[in-house]
Amino acid sequence: MATRVNPTFIDDLDSFGAEDVQLCYQCGDCSTVCPHADEVYKFPRKSMRLLQMGLESKLETTLEPWLCYYCGQCSEQCPRDADPGETMMSLRRWLIARYDFTGIARKFFKSRATEVITIIVVALLTGVFMLYYGFSRGSIHIYDGESAFLPSPFIHKFDLTLGALLALFLIFNAARMWYLVMIRGTSLKVPWWLYITEFFQLPWHFFTQKRYAECEKKREHAVYMPWIIHLGLMLGYVTMLILVMVFIEHLQAGPDIKWQVHIFGYLATIGLITGTVYFIRSRFKKHYIQYKKSHGTDWVFVVLLFIIVLTGMAQHIFHRTGLYEAANITYIIHLMSVVPWLLRMPFSKWAHLIYRPLAMYFAAIRRKAVFQQEAVMSSYPVVVK
Amino acid sequence: MKNCRIGVYICMCGTNIAKMVDVEAVSKFASELPNVALSRTYKYMCSNPGQEMISQDIREHQLNRIVVAACSPNMHERTFRAALRSAGLNQYLFEMANIREQCSWVHTDANEATEKAKALVYAAICRVELHEELESVSVNMCPNVLVIGGGIAGMTTALELADAGNNVYLVEKNDHLGGNLARVDLTAPYLYSARDLITERITRTFSHRKIEVYLQSRLTQLTGFIGNFKATISSINGKSTDNSGKTEVEIGNVVVCTGYKEFDASRIVHYGYGKLPNVITSFELEKMIRSGRIETKEGNIPRYVAIIHCVGSRSQEFHPYCSRVCCMTALKYAHEIKSANPGCYISDIYIDMHAFGKGHEDFYRRSSEAKTLFLMYEKGDRPVIHKAGPKDNCEMLIEVNEKLSGEVIEIPADLVVLMVGMEAREDSHEIARLVNISQDKEGWFIESHPKLEPVATTTDGIFIAGTCVAPKDIPDTVAQARAAAARILARIAKEKIEVDALYSEVNENLCSGCRLCNQLCPYSAIEFLEDKKVSHIISALCKGCGVCVAACPSSAIKGRHFTDQQVLAQVDGLFGID
Repeated sequence: MATRVNPTFIDDLDSFGAEDVQLCYQCGDCSTVCPHADEVYKFPRKSMRLLQMGLESKLETTLEPWLCYYCGQCSEQCPRDADPGETMMSLRRWLIARYDFTGIARKFFKSRATEVITIIVVALLTGVFMLYYGFSRGSIHIYDGESAFLPSPFIHKFDLTLGALLALFLIFNAARMWYLVMIRGTSLKVPWWLYITEFFQLPWHFFTQKRYAECEKKREHAVYMPWIIHLGLMLGYVTMLILVMVFIEHLQAGPDIKWQVHIFGYLATIGLITGTVYFIRSRFKKHYIQYKKSHGTDWVFVVLLFIIVLTGMAQHIFHRTGLYEAANITYIIHLMSVVPWLLRMPFSKWAHLIYRPLAMYFAAIRRKAVFQQEAVMSSYPVVVK
Repeated sequence: MKNCRIGVYICMCGTNIAKMVDVEAVSKFASELPNVALSRTYKYMCSNPGQEMISQDIREHQLNRIVVAACSPNMHERTFRAALRSAGLNQYLFEMANIREQCSWVHTDANEATEKAKALVYAAICRVELHEELESVSVNMCPNVLVIGGGIAGMTTALELADAGNNVYLVEKNDHLGGNLARVDLTAPYLYSARDLITERITRTFSHRKIEVYLQSRLTQLTGFIGNFKATISSINGKSTDNSGKTEVEIGNVVVCTGYKEFDASRIVHYGYGKLPNVITSFELEKMIRSGRIETKEGNIPRYVAIIHCVGSRSQEFHPYCSRVCCMTALKYAHEIKSANPGCYISDIYIDMHAFGKGHEDFYRRSSEAKTLFLMYEKGDRPVIHKAGPKDNCEMLIEVNEKLSGEVIEIPADLVVLMVGMEAREDSHEIARLVNISQDKEGWFIESHPKLEPVATTTDGIFIAGTCVAPKDIPDTVAQARAAAARILARIAKEKIEVDALYSEVNENLCSGCRLCNQLCPYSAIEFLEDKKVSHIISALCKGCGVCVAACPSSAIKGRHFTDQQVLAQVDGLFGID
């Protein structure tokens, strides 16, 4: 059955950042230079071709964009300046929008204004709500304890509600990804037990991002800087998320510093601040090819995270130095950025935290299934029609 | 033969000959033959010292016949003839034995090769003994020129020749000048207007006082030979010296610029041309572009346009060659359609993108930038066009096995443009017969040498230029037209032309007037003298091929430099040694 070409698709991908893909003439240099492409996953060449032809049904079931960590070697190599690296990035954005059943992600990626206005509205609503709550129950002069402006048990419940909402969206979207990739996109039979034997891939890739480290073979440092910084940022982020979701009451209590909790908070902060500063600086300086083109959503991501880290730190310092009013005001600002940030998570670049390890997991299962099928096939005599 | 002093020269050609043929043995063998005054070997006989050696020997040793055993005479016969001339010896007292292409290169046994070389040298010696002194003839060169075809090639040649002060008769079949180029809107890759290119040429051609334009006319007869042709032009518009519609002109040279015709797209059934209303040819699109509106038969602006390359070209069933201009023309259409309807999506379905010329690669890139979707199909695995269903939101669907992705795809299209290739005109064989030139199996006129003589033909005085030779683009066509003009101007400047002495002669006393040779001559060089009732060979036209010599039942024809005695002596020589 012939697949219908959609010549208009390439225009749609413009707003996701794939501005130069039409220049590609399929020489395949990108796939040759890519340290991750192999005979099973032939990106970026194949993905670029599918994009040019607008074969959406093939693209939405592909894992290939997730297997790319954007080291930019392909874009440096490209003889036509078709920017394969940025195309893969754009496809990841498009896939995030595709997995998202609400359609919100697509709106955010397509329109900067929609995203920024939504963030501002949610931030203002949060601010008003928090101020109302604070003034009706407590005092702006008190930071912790019973009559605190924003008591920690309340914040804990608030966080858990947000977290549940977030998890709900993510589970739905991840299930959609699984359906597209493993059911619609896989013609071969995948034995169920591969899901169990390959399960280790999920935590392995989540916590090490091993493949990111393998990017860019010719690099100037012994360790690939973007990888280590990104790893620090991600581990800091996850640690902080756990602290906030589970240990907020210990974290917020004062004036003594509970080192068994706080040491994690400080380490996480180092990871977060280093990461955000590094990435903001890189996007300004554009010294690596992967930071040359920044999509609007990339800026929202790093800047919002930077504000969250900064206000979080400030709040902590004000609290411990006894400036309770300042601490409470910064806390409100902190929450005003945290709430839109968390609510935006499933619809934004952030979601790659979940999709990428999932993709590695699915890719490993698929690869195993392919090899097994080949082994079965090769044990039979080949019939040539 | 008495007083015959032959010099024999065996060339080693570096190691080309020497590694397989024992040249010293051949030289020794030759030196012992009767009439051989001296025999030498040398590393490169064609080099300046080699030629100098021959000239010097002729003077010092009073040699009067020379044999060089070396490469093919095609390669260096002219070189050695010049050496003879420089020593004051008639250049025809020379024979070449080919011991490279016909001996050392094709054999693996050195002994046998050496024996064969000896036989070839012996044959040449036997022949050269009978060689006669011959003189080239020279004929007058009429400065008038006939140009057949009024396209860009014909007009360019005509103007070039006329600007140099010569009378030009330009014969055009149609009622207007301009040819195929007049059917085109813009040209690739710089998007110059074709109309601008040709209107200036047309106006100048018509107004040039040295150019006589015959519209709606054909060449119906051409007699004579280089420098002295007589052409009959038949016109249907009554432009002639009398009322018969026929004009006779005297000319010295002819340039054939009859151009091409486009491939008939209905021959490819897959494409449904003629059945599906919105499948059109490139020339039909040109017409739309020139009228200022690109639309479907229903009058709608097409949203999806597909362009299919190589229609009739590069296929075993139709024409195996590439038509050269269609790739860039297709990109030009992509540009023109997109400029006219910016909301339009263009799919360009090709086999290979041939962007070989100046500015072409850039043009290809710009086309990519404008988001033309390039889709590649395998040679021999043609796209198939279907009518689309009511839900498809387009007129047609083109099914292609897309080579770069490996996917079987269908492309939506409201308008399909077929890039029809070039083919030789159906009446080109008539022209070929009239002016006595050859055609290849595709019908294109054949050059006398594909690389070194691209505009000359095997008939002296007949030149070919433009797309009647092979598909080519405008710059190449113009270059050929000017090249043909330059060749002719050089001859006109010399006023006389030397004709090779290798022609045949009829002994009128022996000729019975059977006229057998008249029909056999491939160069139309034999005329029948009605008054004497004998055949006569026009030496300027004769190439000395020998067909008439072999055919003549009365043995009345002698091929100069290829007399029966000379050829038989050569054969005897070949078999004369054990």
